Amino acid sequence: MGNGATSVKIDATAGGAVRVDDPERALAAINGLNEPETLRQARRLALERFRKLPMPSRKSEEWRYTDIANLRLEDFEPAIPGLDGDRPKGSEPGGLDELESVPEPVREVLARSRERSGVWVQVDGVTVYHRLDDDLAERGVVFASISTVARERPDLLEKYLFTSPIPEMEEKLWAAHVALLSEGFVLHVPRGVRLPTPIHTFRCITKPGTLVSTHSLVAVEEGGEATCIDEFMSPDLPETSINLAGAELFGGPEATLHYIALQRFGTGVKHFGLQHVTSQRDSRLAGVNISLGGDLSRADVTSHLEGSGSESEMLALWFGDRTQHFDHHTLQHHAAPSAHSDLLYKGALTDSAHSVFRGLIRVEPEGQLTDAYQTNRNLILSEKASARALPNLEIKADDVRCSHGATVGQVDSNQLFYLMSRGLSRRQAERLLVFGFFDEVLGRIPLEGVRDRIREAIETKIGISTSSLTSA
Amino acid sequence: MPRNETIAELGLDEYGYDFVTEDKPVFKSRKGLDEEIVRQISAHKEEPAWMLEFRLKALEIYESKPMPEWGGDLDQLDLDEIYFYVRPQDRMQHSWEDVPDEIKDTFEKLGIPEAERKVLAGVGAQYESEMVYHSLKEEWEQQGVIFESIEDGLKKYPDLFREYFSTVVPTADNKFAALNSAVWSGGSFVYIPEGVKVEIPLQAYFRVNAEQMGQFERTLIIADEGSEAHYIEGCTAPVYTTDSFHSGVIEIVVKPNARFRYTTIQNWSNNMYNLVTQRALVEEGAYMEWLDGNLGSKLTMKYPSCFLVGEGAHGQILSIAYASDGQHQDTGGKVVHVAPNTTSQITSKSISKGDGRASYRGLLKVYEGATAAKSNVECDALLLSETSRTDTYPYIEIDEETASIGHEATVSKVGDEQLFYLTSRGISQEEAMAMVVRGFIEPIAKQLPLEYAIELNRLVELEMEGSVG
Repeated sequence: MGNGATSVKIDATAGGAVRVDDPERALAAINGLNEPETLRQARRLALERFRKLPMPSRKSEEWRYTDIANLRLEDFEPAIPGLDGDRPKGSEPGGLDELESVPEPVREVLARSRERSGVWVQVDGVTVYHRLDDDLAERGVVFASISTVARERPDLLEKYLFTSPIPEMEEKLWAAHVALLSEGFVLHVPRGVRLPTPIHTFRCITKPGTLVSTHSLVAVEEGGEATCIDEFMSPDLPETSINLAGAELFGGPEATLHYIALQRFGTGVKHFGLQHVTSQRDSRLAGVNISLGGDLSRADVTSHLEGSGSESEMLALWFGDRTQHFDHHTLQHHAAPSAHSDLLYKGALTDSAHSVFRGLIRVEPEGQLTDAYQTNRNLILSEKASARALPNLEIKADDVRCSHGATVGQVDSNQLFYLMSRGLSRRQAERLLVFGFFDEVLGRIPLEGVRDRIREAIETKIGISTSSLTSA
Repeated sequence: MPRNETIAELGLDEYGYDFVTEDKPVFKSRKGLDEEIVRQISAHKEEPAWMLEFRLKALEIYESKPMPEWGGDLDQLDLDEIYFYVRPQDRMQHSWEDVPDEIKDTFEKLGIPEAERKVLAGVGAQYESEMVYHSLKEEWEQQGVIFESIEDGLKKYPDLFREYFSTVVPTADNKFAALNSAVWSGGSFVYIPEGVKVEIPLQAYFRVNAEQMGQFERTLIIADEGSEAHYIEGCTAPVYTTDSFHSGVIEIVVKPNARFRYTTIQNWSNNMYNLVTQRALVEEGAYMEWLDGNLGSKLTMKYPSCFLVGEGAHGQILSIAYASDGQHQDTGGKVVHVAPNTTSQITSKSISKGDGRASYRGLLKVYEGATAAKSNVECDALLLSETSRTDTYPYIEIDEETASIGHEATVSKVGDEQLFYLTSRGISQEEAMAMVVRGFIEPIAKQLPLEYAIELNRLVELEMEGSVG
């Protein structure tokens, strides 16, 4: 993120009013929040769970390679707008169509393409910009902050918010996520409505030492269609900040949903993505995770195939440098017959970066005629980089086709030699080959505009421009 | 002793080898385990002081380690109900004539004497906790090959024994390795001298026979530089009414440029807990192969390992698991690449039938500095019924830039087209199924010596009976 972002002034968070290690004060602060009781109740319950649960330790299989036992979430300043009863400036619905509060890097991205059905921007937990195409609003599409939806469409929250089953390994972080929720958005696409262009949201962290908890709730009803990009960014921070990003994605019968999380935080950020996908009959859902930034980036992605004939595509790319640590955990949960899931996660690592992939295909006895695939490929580009891959299968139905594969290797030396013989430096050639390695995933992302946005982000990250190479 | 009626009552009489030979143990320790029992075992074996110390220290480690929480369900395993030491005779037998009739009888039912007289060279037959019969071909003796019971190995070759014992599997490696270290009894001690090639496989048959008796075999093998040998361990056990427990430790050192193959065909009865630690240290240019067949037991947790510590070492693991009703085969393999240019291959085939569960669990680790290490893992699982289950849990840990690693697994059922084709040729449904299964395991079966391949196929056929419908 460029310089503009840091100059944004938001003084919405009240200093340290919710300290989870001080239950009395925390409760009082939650009760003082100007939000519907249902949300406050969810926070209270989550706070209680958070205090009871231990931090995940490396003794559990799910956290074997990522050590957060000493990460005290209690030590971070939760960014919760409206603490002490103050309504943050400009959070009124409809009053956020001015770009003045939007950080410069976001404006830059927005300026590059106008093909968006809606935009929502959050800075340090505060909503600063929001827009939805009028005709979509007229057709019943809901796209707004959770606090707004809580007042105007409580039924939607009742039906969907925090309803996903949370696996044990994720409970502690999920409890913190709910209890300390800064703000999130809801996208609800009514039956049969198709969004012509993507919804694009931005979450920016500008302050060190904070904990931002943000939520994406996307529900596409029967036959509806939507594409949603969640982009996460920050400048390099001098001290650690935490980002807890929950996502609940629901696909009704025959619905189509593409969800892309583009994580490009600066240094200093520890990011935890907690994504839950639930698919009904004959729906088609694709979840894409592009992980580029942060010091630690963990994504827990669960896909529940609950309806027969549902399809779930799970894609991810990561590029790690410095001492970055990436950890992707996935579950393809086949609880219905004739469902199809296909996972392709690819990562490239240089410097002293580490990556972990742990994926599980679980086929329940009801999951006859399941087709499930899982592939993890890793490229190691330096001596100190390392990769862990744990592709797991648990199959309790017999009439299934399941396979998984994992590889760890290097860029092809012949290809490297060829590119270098054409005048590219080793680094350039290597990076170009990484791009080629990523192309298999990029090629499966629908909508050219979305693909371009991801390609740009990767180019920035790995320091190479494919367009400049081809035009040169 | 339980009687055959009990077995019939339990409906276990369809088990192929459920004959019971009446045995007459000479000494049987009481149930459960404490320091006193460990001292008794050591005293009975007339061991040197260092071994008693070793055992007592192991007991401490065993007691301090928690039960593993991963893998199979060990809740039903009550270690206090197990006899940790039984010895049927006072002395080792050196010729077939001296072997007691009831034990011979057991072997005859297994077809061992026939094989023994023809091709088998040295048979260390473990009846209950000790070797009762041990022979070695003369020519091997001349070559300097040592093939002894582990107890005799300790007595006759104390220096060689002490140099390698517990160096491949340290006592503290895991809870059951610690247990074995405290109470080990029986097993083989093998030394193949430099450059010696043993053409005929060394074989050790053993059986567990006394009810609730623990079997803690310990085998130590050293294949010296440039040597070649193949060791076969096969077992079938009669069915008993209460759970039985087997926890062995196999240590193998494969010296530079040696080639060693270790084959296990395990067909314990379906009440057996089989928790074994098998590991080989593979030095420069050496080749180690584990061929691991798991057909029996209630629960098997066994992951033969190769530590590739010398440049250019190769590790090969072939694993086959058959889990039928009431069985959980939690098997696989581990390869650790420590040195440059090391290569490895793991091939696993599993079949789950009835409510059986077959799990592949494996580790592939490449340390930094193991440059150009290459490894490939393939796991295929076949599911034969709606209630059967299969899992795959591979761990892949790569710290080396120039390593090249691949893992693949597939799960499938027997194709309807395959069955239709075969049955349309006049083959019964049952036979067609058996043919498909035989075809599935063929890549591993063909690696076995002929007698074992035949036996494996026969076992699969027995297992396939009544599996259709």
